[in-house]
Amino acid sequence: MAGAAGERAVEAHGLVRRFGPVTALAGLTFGVGAGELYGLVGPDGAGKTTAIRALAGLIDLDAGAARILGLDPARDGRVRERLGLMPQQYSLYRDLTVGENLRFFGRLSVLPRAVFRERSERLLAITRLAPFVDRRADQLSGGMYKKLALACALLHQPEVLLLDEPTNGVDPVSRRELWELLHEFVAAGMAVVLSTPYMDEAERCHRVGLAHRGRLLLEGPPAALLADFERAGHPAPTFEALFVAAIEGAAP
Amino acid sequence: MIASRLGRSLVRIGAMAAKETLHVRRDPRTLALALAMPVAMLFLFGYGVSTDVDHAPLAVSDLDASDASRALVRAIAGSGEFDVVARRAPGELEPLFRQGSAVAALVVRHGFGDELRRGRQAEVQLVVDGADALVANQVLAKLDAIVRAESRRLAGPGPDRAGPPIEVRLWTRYNPDGKSAYYMVPGISAFLLAITAVMLTALAIAGEWERGSMEQLFASPVGRLEIVLGKLLPYLVLGLLELELVLAVGAVAFDVPVLGSGLLVFALGFLFLLGMLGQGLLISVLARNQLVATQAGALSAMLPAIILSGMIVPVENMPPPLRLLSRLIPSRYLVHGLRGLLLKGNGLAVLWPDLLAEALFALVVIGLATARFERRIA
Repeated sequence: MAGAAGERAVEAHGLVRRFGPVTALAGLTFGVGAGELYGLVGPDGAGKTTAIRALAGLIDLDAGAARILGLDPARDGRVRERLGLMPQQYSLYRDLTVGENLRFFGRLSVLPRAVFRERSERLLAITRLAPFVDRRADQLSGGMYKKLALACALLHQPEVLLLDEPTNGVDPVSRRELWELLHEFVAAGMAVVLSTPYMDEAERCHRVGLAHRGRLLLEGPPAALLADFERAGHPAPTFEALFVAAIEGAAP
Repeated sequence: MIASRLGRSLVRIGAMAAKETLHVRRDPRTLALALAMPVAMLFLFGYGVSTDVDHAPLAVSDLDASDASRALVRAIAGSGEFDVVARRAPGELEPLFRQGSAVAALVVRHGFGDELRRGRQAEVQLVVDGADALVANQVLAKLDAIVRAESRRLAGPGPDRAGPPIEVRLWTRYNPDGKSAYYMVPGISAFLLAITAVMLTALAIAGEWERGSMEQLFASPVGRLEIVLGKLLPYLVLGLLELELVLAVGAVAFDVPVLGSGLLVFALGFLFLLGMLGQGLLISVLARNQLVATQAGALSAMLPAIILSGMIVPVENMPPPLRLLSRLIPSRYLVHGLRGLLLKGNGLAVLWPDLLAEALFALVVIGLATARFERRIA
């Protein structure tokens, strides 16, 4: 399933990570190409966050290898110039305003002033955060906060974007906006890995991997997965039904 | 375009420092911790923990009852340092000490006046309550001085006294009034700087962990040393402000002089702060949460600064193992250096070992903090 190193923008090969008695990743393997939106779908505790952190080089692996653009994210600092991360938890500065957060992350990427101004204006416009530029991050709604986090992760125009449950706690309207934004960036050639516990979001991805207990049970384009499921004798299949069946070993 | 690696690094350090400054400005508690608390503590220590002895209760046993002995007691009572609270026989002094109604007793034996008249050495006995060593030392020194001066005056120019007697008393050399503030202010400055500096940075990095922002920082191109230096800078400025403030309060409220060069005071404070801020960072890197960092920070800053710095207990009086240990404590060098600078006007020629020791400590802790600062979330 995994392509040769360097071919894919994101490579997870046999990732293993244990936390004491808990095995968070048990040989997780998948790959994502440029211009592809990959959904890591699974319940809480499936290892999604650990997988995203491993890809960002933020944790040590017990076995396996993560590669971003052919580089080891845990060892090679160059990865960070080309990678964007939007963690699941609140990770911005809540006592700083929208504009101050953007400026801070822009300066960490050492964007020239003119470039920063142009990109931040564009990101503020498409996230519709422009009117709130002077509002403190802790006074934003859940959806606005996520959009700000996304904007901060996109300022340096990464080639690879990792998003950990970006739609968690976001209202339906903002959720739709987030997806539209992501599709826009993917169309421009970005490789995106996104984790979500919501099965209904699977069909918005180009390909999905159904994660359970640190490994993938199923993988493929959402329509093809559903079609296989239907052929196996499940009329009007849903991802939820497919996922439950996969966990119980009844999926195709 | 900012091309060079160093240039890019400086931009990121600047970004960290600017962000940290915003945090400080948004959180008045930090400013209070850094500026208001030290001033309050200085007053508390300067006045409340003053070891100056004024109007110490003194018991007198005048067995001689001569003109000379009465004059001696008058001189002591008139000095303002002592109040004569009781006159007892030598055997009845004990209860006064036990009750604490006297801290010292002067016993003048029979024949005191006669001896003086004959130009011979006269003897008086000083009994001091040693339970409080600090008070005892001062009482002893002051009584001793008054008695000697008075006895010389009473004796007049005797046949064996061609010139004025030379008294060498080291403790009065740079602090003639024996004011404890002179001695305490440099020590308290070190203590206050140590505790606030360690706390400020201990909170700063642990705060990133608790906020969850460390994950975002680690995924960004900012380097570990850049994070560490960016965090240090604003608190360094704040700490230097604090030092100036404490010294200014010391000078205005307690008349502590600043005889040495201001530049050297700055250098001594700068290097000391660098070490203390680095110590806070190291704790913060290891603790990862603000509660643990606060406690570890407070203890690791406060205890050595109080016990081993020479702030209260002179380094020379420590048992050898502690004296050795005190060499690892930057507060010791700041206290020593500051006392020399403020009270004696020492220059670089005397001060350089203190500066060097502080610089070494700073280098080691900042190096350790950066090395132990792993770019890993779990």
